[in-house]
Amino acid sequence: MADSILVTDHQACFRFKTSFAACTIMQLTRYDLDDLSKQTTAAVNRAPNFFIGSPVVLDLEVVKGIGVLDFKQIKQILISNNLVPVGVRGGSQEQLEEAATAGFPVITIGKPKLIDEPPKKTPQAPITKLVTSPIRSGMQVYARATDLIVMAPVSPGAELLADGNIHVYGPLRGRALAGVQGNTQARIFCRTLEAELVAIAGYYLVKEDMHNLPSDGSTMQIYLAGEEVKIAAV
Amino acid sequence: MVKIIVVTSGKGGVGKTTTSASFAVGLASRGYKTAVIDFDIGLRNLDLIMGCERRVVYDFVNVIRGEATLNQALIRDKHTKELFILPASQTRDKDALTLEGVAAVLDELGKTFDYIVCDSPAGIERGAQLAMYFADSAIVVTNPEVSSVRDSDRMLGLLSSKTKRAEEGKGQISEHLLLTRYSPKRVANGDMLSLADVNEILAIPLLGVIPESQAVLRASNSGVPVIVDSESDAGQAYTDAVARYLGEEVPFRFLQEKSHWLKRLFSFKEKEAV
Ligand SMILES: Nc1ncnc2c1ncn2[C@@H]1O[C@H](COP(=O)(O)OP(=O)(O)OP(=O)(O)O)[C@@H](O)[C@H]1O
Ligand SMILES: [Mg+2]
Repeated sequence: MADSILVTDHQACFRFKTSFAACTIMQLTRYDLDDLSKQTTAAVNRAPNFFIGSPVVLDLEVVKGIGVLDFKQIKQILISNNLVPVGVRGGSQEQLEEAATAGFPVITIGKPKLIDEPPKKTPQAPITKLVTSPIRSGMQVYARATDLIVMAPVSPGAELLADGNIHVYGPLRGRALAGVQGNTQARIFCRTLEAELVAIAGYYLVKEDMHNLPSDGSTMQIYLAGEEVKIAAV
Repeated sequence: MVKIIVVTSGKGGVGKTTTSASFAVGLASRGYKTAVIDFDIGLRNLDLIMGCERRVVYDFVNVIRGEATLNQALIRDKHTKELFILPASQTRDKDALTLEGVAAVLDELGKTFDYIVCDSPAGIERGAQLAMYFADSAIVVTNPEVSSVRDSDRMLGLLSSKTKRAEEGKGQISEHLLLTRYSPKRVANGDMLSLADVNEILAIPLLGVIPESQAVLRASNSGVPVIVDSESDAGQAYTDAVARYLGEEVPFRFLQEKSHWLKRLFSFKEKEAV
């Protein structure tokens, strides 16, 4: 009974409740206190039901380059128009400090957005590193912050490194080290395992210790179970 | 367009100079104007194998230093028309070769020659890298043993990145495997890697298999490249390899142990009996 905790706990003097109550973001696009005052009054008069009593966060993203503003004045303009200033966001460091002394807390929730900003691309996952030519003895390939796919033979004396997983479609005869930055979930996948060494997150297995490999040509995976490197058919 | 061929291996003593000499003779005897250059500064082997050591007056380093013209240093081969040798210096050290110097010599040769064969020194240091830098194709000489295969593999890695073509993004140079000192008997005994073993690791097109042969030593003692000895197995194998390099299809020979005539007779009888 999950509710009973709240019911029986008479000691609690508050509860957190999330809400989606409207909060107006007022993005300053130009700094002119007289115009700001006039235009705010005009806007509130056009839609008083919407604006009156509404919390307002001042967004400084566009004007972050123009130096310190008179936040006391701005606060006054908002209050006199029945708006409730609750904070600032997106300005330069010195603007935010100045705003704080004028009673505008810095709010970090929600990302400041430019009005005419072009639609942002969704952040791309790092592209997996793909190698299609043989990796010869003495060569080293490192897939930083991503996976590594090798579609060619990896010779004895060659070394594969990846922060993520390693997939090898040719014979793997060199060394393969996955999760080299410590990712214990990283795995190595290969079809012909003749590797000199395989490692996951620093835990390794040398050739002499690779026993009972599946010999039916099935794809193998090498992964970490606790502190033990395991080899198994996929 | 001139074609520059580097004969290289990584490991020493596998047969680069033997191959360079025979290959150059093979190309020239087909009518291609061919120069063979000894990049093994300080050792000078090529002129011995080509039998022209007594005619060496100026060498590769003299040309690079401007102490002699290219024509003064080039030695015309006695036996084969269209074949010229640019010998190495015995008195200088490896550092006498410069990238600009090598480039200038190859440029000059490229105006009149069809093929330039570069006999690389062993190792992966400067000398070997200079020999390969301007190459259009590489003949990787390998013996059927683990260390030689490993070094050839290493060399192939360098060839894919440390050549002018690779650096300028003009594509890979063509790579050819030449397996030398191959002894079918020792392969059968398990003392040597088989052709299949080597192919599996190096995985580049096979240009030829040169058998281990007394004829090679005989040839180098007499100063006539073994390819000239058309009776010998090694000579024939080199002739085949040159033909393949020029795009002809030639069946591979000398991969099996030579069988004794008695054995052959028996197998013949056996076949009949079936
Ligand atoms: N097919 C062969 N059969 C028998 N002996 C061979 C064969 N090929 C080469 N040799 C011998 O092997 C030795 C080394 O050959 P060679 O000088 O051509 O090698 P190399 O790779 O040029 O050596 P280095 O690295 O010192 O320049 C020589 O004594 C040569 O006679
Ligand atoms: Mg040599």
